Amino acid sequence: MKRNTVASTTVRRRLIFLFGCAVLAVFALTLRLFWIQVVIAGDLRAKAWDQLMRRERVIAPRGDIFDRSGRLLAGSASSVSVLAYPAQITDKEEAARLLAPILALDEAVLLERLSRRTGGVYLRRKISEEAALEIRKLELAGIRFTLEPKRYYPHNNLASQLIGFMGLDDGRSGLEYKYEQELRGRDGLITFESDGLGRQIPQGVQNYTPPLDGNDLFLTIDRNIQFIVEQEMERTMLELQPKGINVIALDPRSGEVLAIAGTPSFNPNNFADYPEKNWRLSPITDTFEPGSTFKLVTLAAAIEEGQFRANEGFYCAGSTVVAGRIIGCWTRSRGGHGAIDFTEVVLGSCNPGFITLGQRITAPKLLQYIEAFGFGQRSGIDAIGEGVGILFTPEQLGPVEAATTTFGQGISVTPLQQVMAVAAMANGGYLMRPYVVREIRDSQGAIVRKNEPQVVRRVVSGETAREVTRIMELVVTEGSGINAFIEGYRLAGKTGTAQKIGADGRYIAGEYILSFIGFAPAEDPQVLIYIAVDAPQVGVQWGSLVAAPMFKQMMERILAYLDIPPAGNTENVPPKMVNVPDLVGLTVDEASALLDTAGLRIRFIGSGGEILNQTPKAGAKVPLHTQILIHLGGAGTQSEVLVPALTGKTMREAGEILGWLGLRMNGSGSGMAVSQDPEPQSLVPKDTIINVKFVTPGEREEER
Amino acid sequence: MAGRISRNIKTKEADFIILFTTLTLVSFGIVMVFSSSLWIAEAGRGDSFFHLRRQAIWALLGLAGMFFFSNYDYRKLKRWVNVALLASLFLLLAVFIPGVGVEINAARRWIGVGGLTGQPSDLARVALLLFAAAYLSRKDIRMNKFLEGPFPVLAVLGLFFILILLQPDLGTALAMAATIMIIIFAAGIPLYQLGLIAALSLPASLYLMVSEPYRLRRMMSFLDPWADPLNTGYQIIQSLYALGPGGLFGVGLGRGRQKLFFLPEPHSDFIFAVIGEELGFIGTSSVLLLYLLLLWRGFKVALMAPDSFGSLLATGITAMIGVQALINIGVVTGSIPVTGINLPLISAGGSSLFFTLSSIGILLNISKYSR
Repeated sequence: MKRNTVASTTVRRRLIFLFGCAVLAVFALTLRLFWIQVVIAGDLRAKAWDQLMRRERVIAPRGDIFDRSGRLLAGSASSVSVLAYPAQITDKEEAARLLAPILALDEAVLLERLSRRTGGVYLRRKISEEAALEIRKLELAGIRFTLEPKRYYPHNNLASQLIGFMGLDDGRSGLEYKYEQELRGRDGLITFESDGLGRQIPQGVQNYTPPLDGNDLFLTIDRNIQFIVEQEMERTMLELQPKGINVIALDPRSGEVLAIAGTPSFNPNNFADYPEKNWRLSPITDTFEPGSTFKLVTLAAAIEEGQFRANEGFYCAGSTVVAGRIIGCWTRSRGGHGAIDFTEVVLGSCNPGFITLGQRITAPKLLQYIEAFGFGQRSGIDAIGEGVGILFTPEQLGPVEAATTTFGQGISVTPLQQVMAVAAMANGGYLMRPYVVREIRDSQGAIVRKNEPQVVRRVVSGETAREVTRIMELVVTEGSGINAFIEGYRLAGKTGTAQKIGADGRYIAGEYILSFIGFAPAEDPQVLIYIAVDAPQVGVQWGSLVAAPMFKQMMERILAYLDIPPAGNTENVPPKMVNVPDLVGLTVDEASALLDTAGLRIRFIGSGGEILNQTPKAGAKVPLHTQILIHLGGAGTQSEVLVPALTGKTMREAGEILGWLGLRMNGSGSGMAVSQDPEPQSLVPKDTIINVKFVTPGEREEER
Repeated sequence: MAGRISRNIKTKEADFIILFTTLTLVSFGIVMVFSSSLWIAEAGRGDSFFHLRRQAIWALLGLAGMFFFSNYDYRKLKRWVNVALLASLFLLLAVFIPGVGVEINAARRWIGVGGLTGQPSDLARVALLLFAAAYLSRKDIRMNKFLEGPFPVLAVLGLFFILILLQPDLGTALAMAATIMIIIFAAGIPLYQLGLIAALSLPASLYLMVSEPYRLRRMMSFLDPWADPLNTGYQIIQSLYALGPGGLFGVGLGRGRQKLFFLPEPHSDFIFAVIGEELGFIGTSSVLLLYLLLLWRGFKVALMAPDSFGSLLATGITAMIGVQALINIGVVTGSIPVTGINLPLISAGGSSLFFTLSSIGILLNISKYSR
């Protein structure tokens, strides 16, 4: 038998060849390993480290926003966000199908997120509690929840345009936006080693940088004043249905804004439901033609320049001619104010009178004053979006332009500019820089920054300011501002009625901005309020009848809230007596103007364009500020009338009211009306007899 | 003992280097399996020692098998060839029987008896190489006749290949085919026949690659894993993220990070990456060296075997271990396309460890008859 036959030369050679291949392969792999583990190791180490280390943001608690007394206006609460850890979700299709309807997300979008090869992925942030609960009930593996801060505004619409609102992570509007850096603080960071599922490795490296809490804002706004202001605005919105209202309440001594709002506003808790134009703070962003309230600037300039003499006579013929152009007074239709003095020029808001004052000051000087009072420039308020307004340039300012400027036409201003100018008259002549943030404090309560009252410049002397205030007081006691009068207080004010300018630069017929600006107490001004009502759709279009009563309502409540005592001496002054003018047959506008100048208040009853009756009758002597009842009717309401509600009226009042309407009364009993037949609001022919039962309060008890 | 086995061949001691290398690799494997599986076993099963215990049990069973076969005259194995083939065929079919076959990750590779699961393909590989060695060493066949020589072997290989492919387990099927081809090559068939076989298998290979689009993408992803880092390139990138930070000396045993749910199968297919991370280039090159040592001694046994059967059997066993190790390390280092195959003797492998160790037992037995 042949030994060693196995390995023929071929086989031997092939086995050696195979071993050679193995050696080569091992050698190649060793080189490859050397390349990976030594040559490019640094690069791979950095990438691996990057994958291993997770950085998680620790969201810094956002600062809160408080009013001047520390009442919360904007705070942060927790809300739930949903996360998924894709590696832990086995049936991704099923999970996507179940979650899609709850999260209101597309199934395909969800599936893509659930299929990502990452530690964790947000499915949806800041969902509702109900949605979170529904998801919890599904008990899906790999679905987690985290708490994230969500901004909330406890008072909803209150001061919303000033405060602004938050997007998902940062302030998008208002103070939330303006003070983003202060409020947001600095996020902290946790870095830690994690495994492939994004979970922290217990013994791994970790590093924690704590977050720096955001700072709190303490505003100059007083929540209660803001509330009063917005409530009154809301009431007027309902009653008169104007396009909008702007109000600013300010402390004229410091320039601190106490309340500021424009309507229509929005609720920052769900800002997206409102049109974008509601978000802006219209009292500082919008500009408009100021009209008569601007006359105060002309007045102050004239006094400062020594061109205003209160008792100097002036004749208003209803219009005046400037450089060949006829410029009318608002009393033109009834022949002008006639022979008056310059005090009455202001009280009656006489345009030719102011043109004369402007001419005396000279146009360039007038412009200097206007600019000194802060018009045509930003006030520097610490809110966003402030408008500038437009004045005539010195080159444009011809005699006609100068003339219209004296009574606030042909220029545009922001409500805030108007407020700051009048504040200068209230505080002794200082133009202040307005501000809304009083203090910024850190989370420990330490003051980080404090805004102090800041004088921009002195505009007029203290004497001039006092004289303007004196005349503004007269406007309220016996001029067009009579409807703003508050018993027991000394008020200074001025009405304004400006025709609106359309997009084409022309006046819009029948649309006015009705305004009132005033402050109290006149002897020591603490609160200044400016109201501008844009084009009411209901009722009359006079500042004295729309804005002045609003001012009265607001100021009365604010004075009471601030505990400002009445100036006792006014009560002892015997009221001035005036004659009641004959109003029957006049238009509503004419009658309103007439009563304004007479210092009487108006109350309209019924509707229609024609004045059917008035009480007291023409020629009666009544105390100043007496309310004149005007009954309206119209051509269409001749034969049938609505029965008025008479409950609570005396027999005499009831009889008068029914008389104006052409109805007759059959009264029984005495005292106050308790019932009537037909019922109020029923439609009856004229001359119908209305049965009214009167009862004295005492008798009612006995009747039972 | 020696006298009992053969009268005309005197026996020696078994090859010490093979024994030494094997024991070193297996012990090292147990340590690495524990290190790499600790975290996932704790997270997945609440039992950090799960894979350690399993590996230790299989290693003990395997060493018993090795001891048995090293003392069992390899020539008597010829008698068992047909039984082993039929048993393999039966088990390969059994994985498809619900209740017997166990499905894990949409693959049917396992059969379970009680608590024990095993991969029939582990037995099939050994049975097939036994058959190839036995058949090709027959004196009555002419190697230069294709139909007489390699064809019957190729036919059985084809059948097993398809069955394993259906599980599906492409990696194992390819490694098995490579092992058998090496046996055929070593048996001395004419080179033109090898060319013929290659030409015949080419269309099939192309079909396999193109039939499943993901396969081609996955295969080519090793060239630029960062082109699709989250899908096809993910495994290679994670592997490189383990090897790179390991550097020259490694981050230290047990202190690797990539096994924490970054690496797929850190205790089996990608255990070499864990070795690279924890023990560095020193560790990986040492492992390569041990394999080279094993291959060297394996080929030496084949060269020195007293008969053709022993020579081809030793070649097959050595090739089986070598092919598997080189493919695995090639995959882990991103040098060749990703195929799921574990590192022999080291990876947590269950029945594969048992059969590999038993095969080394056979190798040791052949070494006793070296001239």
